[in-house]
Amino acid sequence: MVVIPAFNEEATIGDVITSAFRHADLPVWVVDDGSTDLTKERALTAGARVLSLPFQIGAWGATQTGLRYAHKLGVDFVITMDADGQHDPMSAKHLLETVVSGKADVALGTFEARGSGLRRVAWKMMGLASGLDFRDPTSGYRAMNASAIKALTSSAASMLDHQDIGVLILLVRARLRISEIPVNMFPRKSGQSRIFSTWRVVFSYMIHTLSLALAKRQLRRNQPSKQRNTLA
Amino acid sequence: MIQAVATLFGLSLSLVLLFLIRRDRLHISHGVTWGVAVLCFALLGFAPGLFDAIARELNIIYGPTLAISLAIAALVIKALLLDIECSKLRVKNQRLAQKLAMLESDLADHRNATNKATSSLG
Repeated sequence: MVVIPAFNEEATIGDVITSAFRHADLPVWVVDDGSTDLTKERALTAGARVLSLPFQIGAWGATQTGLRYAHKLGVDFVITMDADGQHDPMSAKHLLETVVSGKADVALGTFEARGSGLRRVAWKMMGLASGLDFRDPTSGYRAMNASAIKALTSSAASMLDHQDIGVLILLVRARLRISEIPVNMFPRKSGQSRIFSTWRVVFSYMIHTLSLALAKRQLRRNQPSKQRNTLA
Repeated sequence: MIQAVATLFGLSLSLVLLFLIRRDRLHISHGVTWGVAVLCFALLGFAPGLFDAIARELNIIYGPTLAISLAIAALVIKALLLDIECSKLRVKNQRLAQKLAMLESDLADHRNATNKATSSLG
């Protein structure tokens, strides 16, 4: 099952769903995060199933909605991807193969080249604060198995605001194996990043994220089971 | 003068509390907490010597410092408890919204299935 959180993505959602069907060959569920445009209608027209949230709860909350529904349906594997067309659906199979084969519980799609100077600094700081060394910790392009889905449907996961380092810390604490898989990503087709937009938003995001990372940092040296792949 | 202000404030606060509880604007559990605060103000107003005596025991030279420090500590604890409650409510609210979205989807599926069954019978 492919879960796509979407907020006002009418311009791209149709193409993203069509590509996801073609390359991932899985049912596609769009979680409409209280959009005020035609995102829901475009998603339905493209053949996706839609979960409509009554109001906006943020990208991570929307993603978790999809995960909770997948858990309820007893789905074994889920791929999460963005609705803005940045994630190349052709990479979905690589991510999925990693978790289906049992090599990891979570496959984290990474694309370091997308990192602007500011983003790279942010990633480095997140790594230092959390003690976790991930190449692209803010990537929402992930595949996960039932164990990871269950871990991410917990109330503790509902306390998180973003699908970045907080989610990774939660997965590591649940002793799940995370594998970083290089994937292809495209430039954003419309709109702009909700986080890396203005300095004020970036500052607020970083303060919250770094505080969370420091607060949740594991005191014991207990590095996660983590693999890095070099093939896309 | 400070005694008069404390007494007046305590009396006003107790009246506001009573009004809010009677009009269902404040839950009784919170009312009890604020009732304790009112009692503290009443103590400060009616028995100012009490704080001075405790302050002397604690080697605090200026008695009102103890009252102010205790008030600040109580306010900080109350603010923290409020934030904890707010966090809990936020999680509950979010999970409720998620549940609603899931149930709506289930309902739509159920309606479609019922419509199909009805049309095949017809």
